[in-house]
Amino acid sequence: MSELLKRKWIFIGLAVGFVMLMIPVPEGLTPVGMKALALVVVAFIFFMTEPVPLPGVALFIAVSQVLLGLEKPTGVAQSFMSDSVFFIMGSLMIAAAIVKQNLDKRIALAIVRLTGPRIERIVLGLVSVSAVIASFIGEHTVSAMMLPVGVALIKFTSDDRKKVKNLSILLMLSIAYGAMIAAIGTPSGGARNAIMLAYWKELFGLNLTYFQWVVAAYPIILLEIPFVAYVLYRSFSPEVKDLSPAISALRAKVEEEGKLTRQDWVTIGIFLITVVMWMTISDQIGLGITALIGVLLFMVAGVVRWEDLNNNVNWGTILVYGGAISLGIMMKQSGVAEWIAKSFLTWVEPIGIHQGVPLLAAMSLMTVVLSSFMSSGATVGMLGPITLQIASLSGTSIVQAGFVTVISTSFVYLTSVASPACNIIYGGGYLNRTDFLKAGWKLVLVSFLLLLLISAGYWRMLGI
Amino acid sequence: MKFLMCTDGEELAEAAIRFGGRLAKGMNADVSVLHVRRPISSSERVQLTATRKKLSSWDLDIPGVDYLTRAREILDEVGLTQVPLSKEKHSRAFEGGVQGATELYLVGAGGENVRLRLREGDPVEQILEEAQVGGYDLIILGSGGGRGIGSYFVGSTALRVADLAACSVLIAKNIRQDHNFLLCTDGSDLAEKAEIAGAEMARVLGAKVTVLSVAEDESRREEALQSARRAEMILAQMGIEAKLKVRVGPPSQEIIAEAKDHDIVVMGASGSSAVRKFFLGSVPLKVMEYGACPVLIVREKRGKIPLQAG
Repeated sequence: MSELLKRKWIFIGLAVGFVMLMIPVPEGLTPVGMKALALVVVAFIFFMTEPVPLPGVALFIAVSQVLLGLEKPTGVAQSFMSDSVFFIMGSLMIAAAIVKQNLDKRIALAIVRLTGPRIERIVLGLVSVSAVIASFIGEHTVSAMMLPVGVALIKFTSDDRKKVKNLSILLMLSIAYGAMIAAIGTPSGGARNAIMLAYWKELFGLNLTYFQWVVAAYPIILLEIPFVAYVLYRSFSPEVKDLSPAISALRAKVEEEGKLTRQDWVTIGIFLITVVMWMTISDQIGLGITALIGVLLFMVAGVVRWEDLNNNVNWGTILVYGGAISLGIMMKQSGVAEWIAKSFLTWVEPIGIHQGVPLLAAMSLMTVVLSSFMSSGATVGMLGPITLQIASLSGTSIVQAGFVTVISTSFVYLTSVASPACNIIYGGGYLNRTDFLKAGWKLVLVSFLLLLLISAGYWRMLGI
Repeated sequence: MKFLMCTDGEELAEAAIRFGGRLAKGMNADVSVLHVRRPISSSERVQLTATRKKLSSWDLDIPGVDYLTRAREILDEVGLTQVPLSKEKHSRAFEGGVQGATELYLVGAGGENVRLRLREGDPVEQILEEAQVGGYDLIILGSGGGRGIGSYFVGSTALRVADLAACSVLIAKNIRQDHNFLLCTDGSDLAEKAEIAGAEMARVLGAKVTVLSVAEDESRREEALQSARRAEMILAQMGIEAKLKVRVGPPSQEIIAEAKDHDIVVMGASGSSAVRKFFLGSVPLKVMEYGACPVLIVREKRGKIPLQAG
């Protein structure tokens, strides 16, 4: 029944597209632009309602571009597999290689060694460490690695879930939100970041390096960490304040493992080399190729086998991001992005949010709303060309507009489904949907204000 | 005879399992306990698999296993299982199986008549699918009777399962130690099936039985009395003595009022068409929703007399 209900969106989407191809072309848009707009709207409906899995939507985009005569087959293929998509693929492979090692136990031990047994310090430790790791290898990976750490701390404290209900929520959300706020820290932290890099380059000829990204975005994470830890701790007052017994149990578990193996060291080493290469030489050889060098090193060193990568990389994701980028490039080339941007600006001019910080605030709000309903990648993919175009037309910084769009997709604290980190943690079964709301709304507010402050202060100082 | 019991780990579900376990023991039934895990979007499935591997490397159970382990302990306590669960409990879940369902093996678990199963997805859909694939005769669900958003078995899930299932459904709420049965009859064939099933269950639990027949107005009181007498005869043939009662008024209201003095209501599934149900509501579902005690809705599975022991 619900399958059938989902399928109905295929017909609704296609019908909307068909009607758009039939009606007269609005002023300022070419007939080709109208076709492109129809495709964008249909893709938007599909991304929101997911009548088929998202990789299927990506395939639909590729096929439609050729069938509607918007692009030649080779052109579509090229936009599907750019250096940015290589970068996404390479980052996912590196993440898979790291997850395969049992570093999670060591990380857990390192955290509690640093923080001691007091719960408020452990929360701060979990948020910080999840954030720092996620800023390099993505929130999916970090939640997969850290969820067992959280579960272990809960189980070692009490076997009866009911006695440690708040503690469970607190630890789980520390991991999820920690990972979530950090995905924007470096280009490799999230695939959507790579989309924005691709748009800057392909649409506006702007080359932002890995290092420049870090300088602009990382301070936000550092500022958010204490807020997240504080708000969570205040919202879910834990039943147990001292986790000493759990920590001893955890220590015993890690001691079973023995010392770091040669393979562990090799993994850490290759990862660090990759990050250094990203920081230094990637603007010459491309972020994607750099990532692939890292992957090759992992394979040569025998840390991962192809089978591991094959099983632990979500290949569909790569296709989805390829599709999103391809759609974005088409939006720009066909004039659709410009047309939407112009219409938007004429519409908002009377209310005075057509440039500068007010415009960025509006963009951020729009992004938060959209990414609550569809995946962050699709949100950046669809919204990116439009927000960049709006900024370009209104004389607002393209870099700032791009950053605001990407960063705001991380502000989806309110639901379990909007971010991968929350979704994975929710799958662990320690949370109810309503738990996300309880602390989430405060964090949305804090993050939103923080972003505006950064944009008006720090970014202006950097001159971006 | 196969029972499917569902747990979400809440106390209400545990009470339902304890009750269902006693019933299953008396009726010599095969039991499966099902927990439906929250659905996760397909794009995160790869990471979730990685998480599960990590959990097992920490010797931690995958999510949901603890609920099933607890259910198994309860079934041990009521004596349904012959070999109690060993202290050292390691679980191994086997992925795959019937259409995504996972069968769970607990080391030290004895008694082949109890199986533990995990599924993932929408609770109603998964319970119904498991019930259908496994060919169960009775689904037992705990319910808080309210419509809170806290527990997903509360309210709407239980009601939807009761409405859509192809077999009999027992919604267990406010379970008490006594088992005074209230058998509702309207003289129809479906009601007769319910009477047989209810009587069988009452015999297993050693319960007292009251037969209730509701007349919608005074002019139909005699007709209602006839139905009740017929039920009494059926029960007598099964060796069960029953009190008779006739009430006049709207059926669901009268049944709910009478149920206050009883511990379990037994009734046949609504024979109404979907359209009729949509406009008028179904009496069994109303009783289930607003009544204060467990409700057994009896449905006949094709070619089978419902809920016969053995």
